[in-house]
Amino acid sequence: MTAMTSPPAPSPRFRISRHRRLAWVGSILACSLSVLGLALCWLNPSIGAPLRPGLDFTGGTQVQVERDCSPCKPVTAAEVREGLAALALPSPEGEVAPSLGSASVQVLDGGRSLLLRLPALDADQSKAVIDDLATRVGPLLSSGTSVNTIGPTLGSRLLQGSLVSLLVSFAGIAVYITFSYSGIFAGLALLCLAHDVLITCGLFAWLGLLQGIEVDSLFAVSLITVAGYSVTDTVVVYDRIREQRRTLGDLPLVEQVDVAVDATLTRSLYTSFTTLLPLVALIFFGGSTLFWFAVALTVGIAVGSWSSIGLAPTLLPVFSKR
Amino acid sequence: MGRQQGWFALILALTIASGALLANYGLQLGLDLRGGSQLTLQVMPAGAITRVDTEQLEAVKDVLERRINGLGVAESTLQAVGSDQLVLQLPGEQDPSQAARVLGSTALLEFRAQKPGTEQEMQGLLGLKRQAESVLRSKRPPIALDDPTATPPPPPSSLSAEDLAKALTSLGIKVPAGASEVDQLELLLRETNRRILALYGPPLITGKDLTSAGRQQQATGTGWEVTLGFNREGGEKFAALTQSIAGTNRVLGIVLDGRSISEASVGEQFKVAGITGGSASITGNFSAEEARDLEVQLRGGSLPLPVKIVEVRTVGPSLGAENIRSSLVAGLSGLALVAVFMAVVYRLPGMVAVVALSLYALFNLAIYALIPVTLTLPGIAGFILSVGMAVDANVLIFERIKEELRAGNTLIRSIDTGFSLALSSIIDGHVTGLISCAALFFLGTGLVKGFAVTLAIGLVLSLFTALTCTRTLLRLLMSYPALRRPTYFLPARQLPPARTAAAQPGVA
Repeated sequence: MTAMTSPPAPSPRFRISRHRRLAWVGSILACSLSVLGLALCWLNPSIGAPLRPGLDFTGGTQVQVERDCSPCKPVTAAEVREGLAALALPSPEGEVAPSLGSASVQVLDGGRSLLLRLPALDADQSKAVIDDLATRVGPLLSSGTSVNTIGPTLGSRLLQGSLVSLLVSFAGIAVYITFSYSGIFAGLALLCLAHDVLITCGLFAWLGLLQGIEVDSLFAVSLITVAGYSVTDTVVVYDRIREQRRTLGDLPLVEQVDVAVDATLTRSLYTSFTTLLPLVALIFFGGSTLFWFAVALTVGIAVGSWSSIGLAPTLLPVFSKR
Repeated sequence: MGRQQGWFALILALTIASGALLANYGLQLGLDLRGGSQLTLQVMPAGAITRVDTEQLEAVKDVLERRINGLGVAESTLQAVGSDQLVLQLPGEQDPSQAARVLGSTALLEFRAQKPGTEQEMQGLLGLKRQAESVLRSKRPPIALDDPTATPPPPPSSLSAEDLAKALTSLGIKVPAGASEVDQLELLLRETNRRILALYGPPLITGKDLTSAGRQQQATGTGWEVTLGFNREGGEKFAALTQSIAGTNRVLGIVLDGRSISEASVGEQFKVAGITGGSASITGNFSAEEARDLEVQLRGGSLPLPVKIVEVRTVGPSLGAENIRSSLVAGLSGLALVAVFMAVVYRLPGMVAVVALSLYALFNLAIYALIPVTLTLPGIAGFILSVGMAVDANVLIFERIKEELRAGNTLIRSIDTGFSLALSSIIDGHVTGLISCAALFFLGTGLVKGFAVTLAIGLVLSLFTALTCTRTLLRLLMSYPALRRPTYFLPARQLPPARTAAAQPGVA
């Protein structure tokens, strides 16, 4: 592996091949943990899916209201739920209004705002719910009210659309790398990409299990971004290996990889760092809507940086031997 | 040098144009940023049509547009999305329930005559229907009275639990266990309506025969009625229809979307010519609001295919404002940190990159205003990420320049080689990014699309700024001998010893 070769080989300061077992074990560990989280989520009767699906995918109505008071009279979720169960909703003639007994109610910001998850309601019905809330816990700030209703068919379409676009973009990337590099490069790039996406999903499976965090369509967007970023990062190292073929082609592949990783290491770390800066800023200063989105991206990009340094190049000699 | 100046002039012109564009057009903000309501309508296939095509979608859109205009909502937009969906945006509208009511129903109006020999059955059904309706009306949560001076509705004619049960069994309805009285009444109404429809003949006049619709308060009672004007043919058909049932006990049924909303008998005096004059009115005991909704729907015409409201999103303006402010603060502070980082690590070219990246942000926003791109939260996220990619391109170039300098090359040569060597990896990274964007744009749904658009614009622009702006500015600065020092690019200790000595007199 470290045999001396005739040309004065550039001696990399950092040899990734010496640490590759560590990188592999770490990745296998993280992947196993993620699979475990996804499996536990799936087996959990209250979730029943690898990730806890949010409103975007399950369909339903979500009502958020902000109370116009300071300080607010304390209100408990159970109180609100009781009120909802007793509420008679208007319904179009000949149809039976959905029952609100199964509503989930969250009290946020120390009782200042309420988040309700209800079965899918039409516009009149959600108005009735808000009017009812206004009499119970009001007055409400009309400018702080938001209502989202997603029909069940739309939810499944959204999920389908997200998955299909993810797979198609994988396929497109694989074709591109196969043509500009080779099949093995493409296969490894996809492996790393799957690794990054899996670990991001795994984290959210655990968050769903332990914290009740749900995934929405923004999460799907973040996965796609992580995938794209992961490939970009990997390609830079590959580009260096391809470029060195002319000068270092006689060296064993392990050496070539070491030189390429060492040469691109600073760039990989700096780029991840500069991309993570705005994301971390979003986590700390961004609105609540973007919080989990930024978390998913931060983790995915950090993992992507790891895999493009520790996995994609070090696996290359292993798979090229055959 | 002439070529550099040409590029510089182009960049300057683009900067001025972008500034002017932004000042004049401004950015379009999505509803999640400024508040309002968004309704997604799914066009459902019906009858012989199993797949909705563009032509049918357009036809539905036309009708809906007329209805929206009838509602008089300012600034609303209705857009086709995909092959079978329409998205209606109502900026600033906090209560989309009226729009949902008016747009959601097909508004297929039909006039039908009752079949002969069914008089007795009809009478029984109508009796049940009236009773169930009035009891239900008294049970419903009182909707705000349209007219404060209106007298309260008369006490409901009683329908005891026993009578209700008897009526239900006589119609053969199985009541599910635990159904409330309201649910039972709804079931009763549904069944009576179904049976009443069965007693009608085929539709003789439809909404297509109308020329106008209006509403007025009923001469007697507190309700509203909807007035209709027929075209010539419709007027003739209406006269013939009323003539055929005049003086009998049979009724004229007015059916809206498969629901009998009004049943009228025609007096003996119309036996000769029917009701002529080409107009009619529907007295269905409407509230003012219901009458207005129906009027708008009838004026807009009936939908060629039924629609279903599959999504309603409402965002309050203060939620929107808070989101935009905090996201802006986050984005800007993140970018400021990136700028500091670049200047510290890469020195002179780092500062050049900061200028180039500022131009990059400006061009991006100008393109958003030009196309125009509606900025939503995912869109902002896409923008922030594309900034990350743009920075990456600069980092790749500068690392290469440093490498060349360490290898002992001259400054100008290092810069040129740095740019050309970094090119292939920059292009590979951007192309794979654009492939993802294409997949997301063509296959993804609304939210994902917005992200794909801003990211794609960002990627294309980042290629331009990294390869042109950074390079032109750097070359321009290098024409000043005072700035031509390798130590402005990397710490002196990293330079090969021979170079440090030779670099002092400013080698070109």
